[in-house]
Amino acid sequence: MSVRELTTVTCYHCGDVCAEDHRVHDSKDFCCHGCEVVYELLNESGLCDYYALETKPGVKQRSSVDEQRTELFDLKEVRERIVEFSEGGITRVRFHVPQMHCSSCIWLLENLHRIEPAILRSRVSFTQKEVTITFREDQFLLAQLVKLLRRIGYGPQLTAAKESVNKSVPHMVYIRLGVAGFIFGNTMMFSFPEYLGSNTEAGLRTGFQWLTVLFSLPVVFFLSTEFFRSAWAGIRSQQVNIDQPIALGIIALWTRSLWEVITGIGPGYFDSLAGLLFFLLIGRWYQAYTYRALRFDRSLEDFLPLVVIRRTASGEAAAKVSELVPGDRIIIRDQELVPVDAVLRNGVGHIDNSFITGEPLTTRKEVGETVKAGGRQRGALIELEVLHSFADSRLKKLWAEQASLQDRPAMPRLIDQVARQFTIAVLLIALGAALYWWGRDPAQMWPVVTAVLIVACPCALALSMPFAYGHTIRLMGKKGLFLRDAEVVERMAHADTVVFDKTGTLTAREAYEVVWMGRSLSTEETRVVRSLARNSTHPLSAVLYSELKEPVLPVLEVDDHAGKGVVGLVNGVAVRLGAAPFCGGDEQPRAGGAAHVHLAIGGVWRGYFVVGKRMRPGIQQAVARLRTRVRVALLTGDAQLDAELAEAFHDAQVQTRCSPVDKAQVIIREQQDGHRVVMVGDGLNDAGALAQSDVGITVTETMAALTPASDAILDANAVLQLPMFLLQARRARRIVLASLGISLCYNVVGVSFAVSGQLTPLFAAILMPLSSVSVVAFVTLAVTFAAHSKFEPDGS
Amino acid sequence: MSVIFLLIAASTLVAAVFLAAFIRAVRSGQYDDDRSPAVRMLHDPTPSTNSSLNPAPPPQGKGAIH
Repeated sequence: MSVRELTTVTCYHCGDVCAEDHRVHDSKDFCCHGCEVVYELLNESGLCDYYALETKPGVKQRSSVDEQRTELFDLKEVRERIVEFSEGGITRVRFHVPQMHCSSCIWLLENLHRIEPAILRSRVSFTQKEVTITFREDQFLLAQLVKLLRRIGYGPQLTAAKESVNKSVPHMVYIRLGVAGFIFGNTMMFSFPEYLGSNTEAGLRTGFQWLTVLFSLPVVFFLSTEFFRSAWAGIRSQQVNIDQPIALGIIALWTRSLWEVITGIGPGYFDSLAGLLFFLLIGRWYQAYTYRALRFDRSLEDFLPLVVIRRTASGEAAAKVSELVPGDRIIIRDQELVPVDAVLRNGVGHIDNSFITGEPLTTRKEVGETVKAGGRQRGALIELEVLHSFADSRLKKLWAEQASLQDRPAMPRLIDQVARQFTIAVLLIALGAALYWWGRDPAQMWPVVTAVLIVACPCALALSMPFAYGHTIRLMGKKGLFLRDAEVVERMAHADTVVFDKTGTLTAREAYEVVWMGRSLSTEETRVVRSLARNSTHPLSAVLYSELKEPVLPVLEVDDHAGKGVVGLVNGVAVRLGAAPFCGGDEQPRAGGAAHVHLAIGGVWRGYFVVGKRMRPGIQQAVARLRTRVRVALLTGDAQLDAELAEAFHDAQVQTRCSPVDKAQVIIREQQDGHRVVMVGDGLNDAGALAQSDVGITVTETMAALTPASDAILDANAVLQLPMFLLQARRARRIVLASLGISLCYNVVGVSFAVSGQLTPLFAAILMPLSSVSVVAFVTLAVTFAAHSKFEPDGS
Repeated sequence: MSVIFLLIAASTLVAAVFLAAFIRAVRSGQYDDDRSPAVRMLHDPTPSTNSSLNPAPPPQGKGAIH
C-alpha cells in the first residue's frame, strides 16, 4: 500500500499541494498552520495586496531549521556587521534575505511599517537579496524585528564568514564601459573625414587626428590596465593566456597609430582601438552581470548555531558556541542543532543525524549517552553537558580532514589552450612577414608587423567564451541550476561520470514512503492507526499520520511508552503501535535505513509499516537518460538499497555504508582513473566529495537553506533536469568551439591583408566590430536555440 | 571653416556632461539593483480597498509579535 496525494488543492499562501484535511480560513486553502498564520497577520494589517500582485507568493513556513537563535542578534560583533547606523533610538540594519523571489516579496518587505509602526522605512535591493530597515529601536528591539521577519517567512540569513557574496557588478565595470562608449563614439566621429576620404582642409584633418590621440590616452592608460595586468601576470607565471595577444594588439595599435599621426603619414587606427576596448569591456561586464547573489563557499561554522543557551548557577543566558568549555551545561530546544560533542543530562534525545551522516530517521538517546556535534534534536527540550570544546569536537576534526584532501585536478580552460596556439601562430606569422619584407622592402617591415599584430588581436575570441558560458549560466539559472562561474560550464561539459548521493538527492528530504507489510488493512483499521498516530509525539507517528489519508477517530486513554510505542483505546479496542516486542511481533530484517512500526489491534499482532524515504518521482528515467551519455555511480551511507534504486543503478558502481571520507575517496579513485566527475549531493556528509569532484552540485529544497561549499546549487525540483543541464553544458562548449572557428576566419582574412601590406584604417575599423558583433550574435542565438531544443537519446 | 572647431568642442563638451552624469549615476548605486525599482513603481502607495475593509491594525496585533 503506497499512499500518495490525490487532491490538487494548493495553498493560498505558498502554492504547495494541500493534504485532504488541510486548513481553510476565509474560504481559502492553507497547507499548514504556518501559512495560515502569515495570512492572518497580513490580513490583519491590510496587506493582502501581497496575494494580488502574484499568485501564491508565500514562502512556506518550514520548521526553524537552519535558523539561528534570536539572541544572536544581541551579540556585539553580530550587531556591528548588520547595523549601518544607530543614533537617538533610530537604527538602520541591512539583512540578507535570500527567500525573496518575486514582486510580492518586494512589496511586502517594503510595507513592513504597516505591520509594525516602530518600523519607519524598509527598502529592498532585489539583486543583492537585501533589505534595509530603519526602525525605532527604543520601541522595538532588533531581536523582535528578526522574529517578525521570520514570522512572515523572510527570516534574515546570517553566517559566520564575513560577507563575500558576489553581489552586483562593480561600479568600475560600468564606468569603464561608459568611458569606452564615449571615446568610441567620439573617435569615430573625428575619423569620419578619413572614412570618406574627402578633401577636407589639411588643418582640420590634423586637428581631428590630434583629438583622437588625446582621446586614446584614457583608452590605453585607464581602460586597458586590467588586460595589461592579466597579461603580465601570465608572463610572470610563464603561462600563455588570452589577454597577452590582446595586450600586444593594444600596444601595436596605439604605437603604430601614434607614429602615423606624429610623422603625418596617416590617421592611425585610434577608432579601431577604442572599438576594441568597448567590445572587450562589454564582454567583461556581461561576465560580471551573470553572477548571482548566491553564496557558494561555506565554512563549517555556517552550519552550526553561533549561540546556544548556557545554564549556569546564575540562570540561563546566551553564550557563543566558540566560548563553551567542557563541563558547561547547555539547553537545546526542538529543531536545534547540538553544536559540540556533549553528554545528555536531562530529557530524552531524539537526535536526527541526517545532516552529518545522511541517516534518515532519528536515534533515541537516554540520559548519560553522548550526542555528537551536528545532531539535531527533534522533540522536547534537553539539557546537555559539554564534553569537548568546539575546536576539539569530532565534527570540526572531520571537517579539517576533508579540507586536507588532495587538490582536484586542474583543467586548463579551453580559451587558454586556444590562446597558446593562437599567440604562437601570430608571432610566427609576424616574424615570417618581417623576414619577407626585410629582404624585399625594409621600409615596409614595421608597418606590416604591426598590422599583423593589430588585425590578429583576438577580440572576437575573447568575447565568445564569456557570452556563450554567461548566457548558458543565465538560462540554466531560470531552470533551477545556479553555477558559480563560467569555468563550471566547461568542467560540466567534460564530465563523463556522475556520482549521486542517495539521501536528500535521489530521495526527497521530508518525504516518506509508507508500505504496509501484513494482511491488508480495512479502511476502518487504517483510520484507527492514523487516529492513534496523531496522539503520539514520535517522529514516525507523525509520518504515519501525514501519509495515511483516512479521517481520524477519537482516541481514549492514550499512553505513550517512551522508546517502545504508544497504546490507546479506539472504538473501545486497545491498539498498539511501536516496536516489535511492544506489539507482540517479531523483529523483521530491515533494508535501506527504513524503520518499522508494528501494529497490534485488540492484542493481536497484525503486521508492520515500513517507513522509508521516498524517491523523487521520475528519478529512474532521469538516471536512465544520464546513462545514455555518462557513467553513473551511487554512494550511500545506508546498508542496503531499495529495489527501485538498485534497478536504476544496475551494473553501475554502487557503494553502501559510505562514510563522508569514503565518499571523497571514491571520487579520488575515479579521478585517478582519468574520469571527470560530477558529484551530486546535499548534506554536510557530502562536503568532502563535493569539494573533491570536478563539479560539485548541491541539491537544496529552498534557496534560503545552507548548502555545503560547491560549484553549483541545484533546486530540488530541477533534479530531473540534470541530464539536460549536462547536455546544455556540452552544447555550450561546442558553440564556443564553433565561434572560435568563425573568429579565426576573420583573423585569416585580416592577416592575409596585413601581410601583403594592404590593411587600411577603414578596413580595420570595419572588420573588428563586424567580427565581434557577429560572433556575439552567433553565440547568443546558438545557446538559446540549444537550450530550447529537445533532448535526443544520443549524438553528443 | 574654423567655426567647426567650436562646434566640435561644444559637442564633445555635451557628450562629456552626459558621461559625467552616467558616472555619477553609477556611483550613486543606480545600477546595483535593476529589478526592484521597476517593480516598486507599479505598487500602489495608498492602502488598497482590502485594507479599508479592515482598518488600522489593532494594537494587540503588534503585541503578538513579542
